[in-house]
Amino acid sequence: MDDQHGIDCGCEEYNELSRRQFITASAGVSAAAFFPAWLPKIVMSNHYASNRDIIVSVFMRGGADGLSIAVPFADPNYYTSRSTIAIPRPDSSAATKGINLDGFFMFPQAMTGNAAGTGGLMPAYTATDLLIVQATGQLNNSRSHFDAQRYMEVGKPVDPNLVTGWLGRHLASMPPIKSDALLRGIGISNGLQKTLVGAPKTLPIADPTKFSIGGSDATQPQRIAFLQGDYAAAEEPMHSSALDATNTVALLKSVNFTGYVPANGAVYPNSSFGRALRSVAVLIKNDIGIEAAQVDIGGWDTHSGQDPLAGSMFNTMRDFSNSLGAFYADVIATGLSVTVVAISEFGRNVRENGSQGTDHGRGTTMLAMGKGIKGGRVLVKGAWPGLARENLEQGQDLKVTVDYRDILAEIVQNRLANPNLGVVFPTWTPTMLGVTR
Amino acid sequence: MRMTTRSGAAVSGNDERQDEVSAPDAEQEPALTRPSRRSFVFFGALAAAAVLPGRGSAQAVRRKRIAPDSPGTEPLAGIQPNEMVGAFAEWDSGATRLVRRVTLGITPAEVQRVNSMGYQGYLNYQLNSSRIDDTAVENTIAAKWPLMSQSSDTLFSADAGQVQNQLRESTIYRSAFSQRQLHQRMAEFWSDHFNQDLDKVGYLLVGDQRDVVRKNALGKFADLLKASAHSASMMVYLDQNASRNTAPNQNYAREIMELHTLGVDGGYSQNDVAELSRVLTGWTVIGRGQFVFRPELHDWGSKTVLGVTIPAGSPSLGQDGIKEGEQMLDLLISHPSTARFIATKMLKWLLTPSPSETQIAAVASAYRATNGDIKAMVRAILNETWLPASPMKLKRPFHFLVSAMRSTNANVTSATTLSNSLTNLGQQLFAWDTPDGYPDKIEYWAGNVLPRWSFATTMSNFNSTTTVAVDTTAYRAGSPDAAVDLMDQNFFGGEMPLVTRNGLLSYLKAGTFNDTRVRETIALAISANAFQWY
Repeated sequence: MDDQHGIDCGCEEYNELSRRQFITASAGVSAAAFFPAWLPKIVMSNHYASNRDIIVSVFMRGGADGLSIAVPFADPNYYTSRSTIAIPRPDSSAATKGINLDGFFMFPQAMTGNAAGTGGLMPAYTATDLLIVQATGQLNNSRSHFDAQRYMEVGKPVDPNLVTGWLGRHLASMPPIKSDALLRGIGISNGLQKTLVGAPKTLPIADPTKFSIGGSDATQPQRIAFLQGDYAAAEEPMHSSALDATNTVALLKSVNFTGYVPANGAVYPNSSFGRALRSVAVLIKNDIGIEAAQVDIGGWDTHSGQDPLAGSMFNTMRDFSNSLGAFYADVIATGLSVTVVAISEFGRNVRENGSQGTDHGRGTTMLAMGKGIKGGRVLVKGAWPGLARENLEQGQDLKVTVDYRDILAEIVQNRLANPNLGVVFPTWTPTMLGVTR
Repeated sequence: MRMTTRSGAAVSGNDERQDEVSAPDAEQEPALTRPSRRSFVFFGALAAAAVLPGRGSAQAVRRKRIAPDSPGTEPLAGIQPNEMVGAFAEWDSGATRLVRRVTLGITPAEVQRVNSMGYQGYLNYQLNSSRIDDTAVENTIAAKWPLMSQSSDTLFSADAGQVQNQLRESTIYRSAFSQRQLHQRMAEFWSDHFNQDLDKVGYLLVGDQRDVVRKNALGKFADLLKASAHSASMMVYLDQNASRNTAPNQNYAREIMELHTLGVDGGYSQNDVAELSRVLTGWTVIGRGQFVFRPELHDWGSKTVLGVTIPAGSPSLGQDGIKEGEQMLDLLISHPSTARFIATKMLKWLLTPSPSETQIAAVASAYRATNGDIKAMVRAILNETWLPASPMKLKRPFHFLVSAMRSTNANVTSATTLSNSLTNLGQQLFAWDTPDGYPDKIEYWAGNVLPRWSFATTMSNFNSTTTVAVDTTAYRAGSPDAAVDLMDQNFFGGEMPLVTRNGLLSYLKAGTFNDTRVRETIALAISANAFQWY
């Protein structure tokens, strides 16, 4: 599949080729069919990066406690703020001690798969392909899950008129990687996540392994024809989704999900997140032209009984890191051009509450992973803002020092080769922090 | 669009929603230009014309126009979802529009009823739900799903999986076959409004659904909110039972304002959340699901919520400490933001995804005039002027499944298969884990059309006396034309769009006219675009 994604192609030529194909293909229909009319003027890049990554976007829904993911063990206020839910220092003798990352931050064992610190996301970190950004999030300080998620997914806060998602606008403003792709984007979900709204040839598919209208194979073509006719005059968005669905049925039927053997002995957890990433890996490797996938993982709203050492959040983090660790070994470590990002709507209060949990806060962590990511480090912009009460936002929360769009915009520009940052993140002027290679 | 509740960012309380910190770059200020909705539709039409054989574009032309909700208002700048989908031209009767809106699926019997009672008479009939005899359905439920009438103590000892299954299956059955259809529609609405995750609360949800949601679905909002605030299930779901005076848990205090009463822009601050969480300390659950106030867990200090100060009390007040919270519930119930928030949300559920300012004001006024009488609000919303002019709404998967049962008059002996199907359709009951409830947005559900087609295929083949049976005898009794006519009457209230009629007829006639072909045609009718809307 490498050549299909331009990895080995040397690139100017590939880009010219792919543009040409795109133009030829569109001649039969009309250019308007590829670029929705609502898109503002966009620039067609003719200087693509040496390759163009596929992006897998992960949303950690519920407000992930970044202080339990990349734990600032060297900040003593971490321990004084969390009397029952702190991760022991890496140099302690506790069985549940953390795994040192850089002398200041550590992973809890849930993130490294085991006490030796050799599983989960640790191999990606060690190979410098995993970047952790700490004290990040969004500048808008809503503590409502639903507002905060919406603003993040849309890519611009507080604008009731913008309903497409940042990833949806990315796909809408770029020609397809494969000009004849039937399915460019997929949301592993029952409904399309806001992140992807506006994307052409994109469907929510909860389980790509079971995408069929059922019934007799003999009559299926006729029944599909009925549906195409019946929905031909349907209004958007029903029209496109029905049409895309009829096309995708045959496409996914040709993909062998059940017999798939992951590379490098990778083992995906049999969790909904693990199965979702496995399906995404299969789709990527089948080279059908998928260029964006949105995958969600819940369970981060840890108001009570958080227990990152052995309980609720431990299990969530372990699922998260083992699933992404498997995806790393299976896909990224094999050299495929794929970038993964993981974000959450906000972090949680620095001080734990009375239920051994934490309430809604502000700054948290985000992750970026790929061969094109300058990883193997925990990125903090400027000095660590600190967890002493006087350094906290409203006296309670880790400050947001990096807007998540700064990280995403650099990836969109340098890894996804999309020069239209003003379309993807309207009104935002990103500060590039050097997160890509 | 026209999200009036969100328009006043400045009103949004002390979250101090600053828009952006850095100055927007003028060059990047996007020309995310208007009027995108029209363009979206236009784009769709273009693609359709290009890709598909030329069928049925006349239908789009014949679709009714939706009048702008406030004259002279252009669609707002930006990219709009296409949520104002005009009704099919065939949907020309206000009476059948009403049946579609107040039921979970049109049937010939309901059409006949509205025709004999008239629009207003039928609405009154459905509103006075307690006068509708529903004993047949309730008797069946009592026999098939006996745990549903049990107390928490009994449910605690019952098999947890059994409790979950019975709750889901009985809810499907009641929604499909209760004569009190508007009551079911509103129970579904409040079930989302006070959403809880069955995985987290377990058997406690049985009592919440029965004694909070269904009991008050067409009653007073004040009673409903108070019942919810005293529901063991809600306390557990939003961690109120884990809140302590020494360290309050803010989860319930936040959501009761954000989701249950004021709305996110209703004028409360993070500080109000913190203070209300202190007021509510002591509200908890004991035993196997009994709500109690525990004075020893209450924070007796002085608090100020929404500008109202509660003076410091003392532990000697004991049970009287709960009055602080009761006072706050009354404050929330009578708050003008609550009237607007509930009015807007009910308008979206019953009338239009984009209610106008006039509509919101009228329904909020009905709320204030009647102390939150839900029937009065429904009456204000479903008037004979607004409803026929309203856009269509997309059935959510649950609604879709239930309407398919109603339209095919399926004989449901066991609802287990149906409940499992809801998982594939994307809306297993009581499984939405965040407190905002299942979305009621076209753009969320529209992409997920294939599982509906798949379910239609499956259900059209139901023919089991122990699970579900769809009887096709009547469809096979005459000609293919008569069969499609019958589908029109049963599934579409006699208002099947022409494109669907032609498609079904040609499919049916292209094969041997037998049970297999008829069932496939029924599946296609259920899969058709027009069946997805109400």
